[in-house]
Amino acid sequence: MGALQELAEVSKSLGNSHVDAWKRDGKKVVGFVCSYMPEEVLCALDILPYRITGRGVQDTSHADSYLTRVNCSFARSCLELGFTGEYDFLDGAIWNNGCDHIRRCYDNWKAKIPLPFMYMLPVPHKISTHARGRYREEVLEFIRAVEDHFGEKLDPKKLADAISTYNETRSLLRKLYDLRTAESPPFTGAEVLTILTAATVMPRTEYNRLLREVLAEVKSDSDNGSKQKVRLLVAGSLMDEADFISNVEDLGAIVVTDALCFGAKSFWNLTDESGDPLESLIDRYYEHPPCPRMTGEYPQRLAFLREQIERAGVKGVILQHIKFCDLHGTDNALLKNDLEDAGIPVMELERQYGPLADAGRIRTRVQAFLERIGG
Amino acid sequence: MPEARRNALERMVETFNMTSNLPEDLDIDSPPIQAMLATLDEPRRNNFLAMAKDPGVRKMSVVSNAAMAKYWDEVLNARDRGKKVAFIPFNCSPEIFHALDIVPVGVEVLNSFAMILEEGIHEYLDLAVERGLPETMCSAQRGAVGLLEAGLVDKPDFVVNGAAGGCDPNSKIFEYMAEKWDIPALYLDVPYSHDRRAIDYYTEEYREVVDALQELSGNKLDEDRLREVCELTNQCTEIIQEISDMKRLVPNPVPNWYNMNHLGQKLNLVGTPDALDFYKTALEVCTERMKEGAHVLPEERIRFMMMYTGIYFDPGLHYWFQEEIGVTYLMDLLIFHDFNPIVDTTNTDTMLAGLAEGMLNLPMTRQLKGSWDMPANWLEDLLYYVDTYKADCIAFTGHAACKQVWGVYRIVADEVKRQLGVPSLRLEGDGWDSRVTSLDVIKEQFTEFFETLD
Repeated sequence: MGALQELAEVSKSLGNSHVDAWKRDGKKVVGFVCSYMPEEVLCALDILPYRITGRGVQDTSHADSYLTRVNCSFARSCLELGFTGEYDFLDGAIWNNGCDHIRRCYDNWKAKIPLPFMYMLPVPHKISTHARGRYREEVLEFIRAVEDHFGEKLDPKKLADAISTYNETRSLLRKLYDLRTAESPPFTGAEVLTILTAATVMPRTEYNRLLREVLAEVKSDSDNGSKQKVRLLVAGSLMDEADFISNVEDLGAIVVTDALCFGAKSFWNLTDESGDPLESLIDRYYEHPPCPRMTGEYPQRLAFLREQIERAGVKGVILQHIKFCDLHGTDNALLKNDLEDAGIPVMELERQYGPLADAGRIRTRVQAFLERIGG
Repeated sequence: MPEARRNALERMVETFNMTSNLPEDLDIDSPPIQAMLATLDEPRRNNFLAMAKDPGVRKMSVVSNAAMAKYWDEVLNARDRGKKVAFIPFNCSPEIFHALDIVPVGVEVLNSFAMILEEGIHEYLDLAVERGLPETMCSAQRGAVGLLEAGLVDKPDFVVNGAAGGCDPNSKIFEYMAEKWDIPALYLDVPYSHDRRAIDYYTEEYREVVDALQELSGNKLDEDRLREVCELTNQCTEIIQEISDMKRLVPNPVPNWYNMNHLGQKLNLVGTPDALDFYKTALEVCTERMKEGAHVLPEERIRFMMMYTGIYFDPGLHYWFQEEIGVTYLMDLLIFHDFNPIVDTTNTDTMLAGLAEGMLNLPMTRQLKGSWDMPANWLEDLLYYVDTYKADCIAFTGHAACKQVWGVYRIVADEVKRQLGVPSLRLEGDGWDSRVTSLDVIKEQFTEFFETLD
């Protein structure tokens, strides 16, 4: 099996051989949900951070009776998988108050199906010196809680090593995204999404090895037919559904970059390795390209999007948000105005979480959008 | 939408002026009043009856309306009078703005009072969506955004949001207004927890905003003026508590409509002499009613509490409860006030700390910023208020935008039932948009629910 295939395999379902092997070695696996959780802390404690998502959920009937019709389908899908026992392999879960939906997912999970270790790491909703101090305190408290529960002290040297490992991931992903700027990108957007997903559900050293192989296998002069396709950027609510991207790309488009929380936003900035590891880590997570939950940071989000559009030669932007996601929905309304004022075609799309939810309607809309921008 | 509509605030001032002149001996059944009522649509007729039918309620409403007329006139003419205007949410105390000679406008209050406009607010709720805002954003604020879009209110000089983290739509809409209309914006980050460290953090956030407000407005904070405002607030707090204490009585002498008057005063005017006048009048009316043994009509059958926000699009619910079916509307969560501290007026530092702590205890910020079962959070408060005020039952309006409430409604309601034996009703309505669930349907649901209590 090639490296790309192996990464695709890992991202396909919740369980994977790497997690199984990790557990067989008697080591712990801890879930997390948000890009404001410093994974390196767990890595340094020899705990595998595993991102909780709703991948593979068939329906959300049990979760719907707790998280209701006005809560986003991503949060409901996560909770449903908790209820059905799909996440029983986790030894704990760390949550952030990323949005109203996910923090209520935590509340219900903790009340109804608690894992041995349930922790909320609150993140301030603004970027300022004062709020950064609060985030620092919260991270320190979080570290103490993890240390106490798992009986292991955080070793600064191991933390520095974990930071290097994660920085390597980020640098490799930057290279991957650089390749996507080519006239004929070597990867489809769907393939990239599976590569990104794999990063969050397996040990990083192993992931880096596979990603290096994937990059080494790329032939720079290959023409895979992507040259003629319309180059798109996808931004907005959390997305880990490669089939959704395939659905879009099947219509004659290629997704060449993104502004997604577990996409480009998750690896664009590195942790400074020259200073105190913990302080640098805190800075890195606090100041990474901001989620719409961070009030007053809209100009930064717009700038990030424009940077991605420019460097990847994007011809059209899909701003999607999961229904009831007010944070992205509202940001998207502003972004649409600003991007269209700058002459960049935009399609706003409200959707449900799940790879092929409402696929027919979405295909029709994307098709019309591609026709509009000359695809 | 007709093009030549007059400024919304002008029309609100006129309505409040008109309703601040109701005579003490008003005879609701007299032909002229009946003829006037016949010209009103149902929500406005209900509004009039709710505030004017009962003489005591009318007395306090007249004082409240006079204060409101003066206040909206102040907002309308702020610029001509050299004052800056700040848009704030309901969980941002107005005192600091009064102390800095800035006119605060509660966005939800503007939205709610705009419902007295002859055209109502539906078209403004829709206009905000047509211009980009997701329809899932809160109708408590969307109407105000629609009024801005329509040019029927002026854009403010700045916006201040007091509780980023308590409710996503609440803080996000301020960022939306700021970006769309290029308005300077200030945000206070609300901590997840409610311990000493959290209070200190929030106090520092508050101080930073006060510094920024001085810079933006060019007005310097004067300690004596701040003390004057805080002392007025403290007097109001004491009276509010006295009136709340009366609500503990069975039957409750405090009229249901007090809650609505109180909201308007508390959210925009507390810290002014006008608000104090209102609370003094309200106390006088409630004391008199207590002595007379007055209560809801025909008798207090049920003591009721809203778990979160109420139904505001048609005061008919209050009127129906008060005058027809004997239901005491003890309070909704926006009225929760028992944990608001008296501000220590020793010096500027103590006053700012007191105001910040008061703000952290404001409705929603206090109960919904963290996990449902943390100290000083939703469950703990509900258990306290339901028990203290002897509520027989509770209800959740099902306000569509309140995702953070919907997300834990079930576990909270189950726990209230388990610990206190008090049942709950979950509606599927919208506090400000009658098109989601009409008042008639809501009344039917209440009727069926109340029957289960008998």
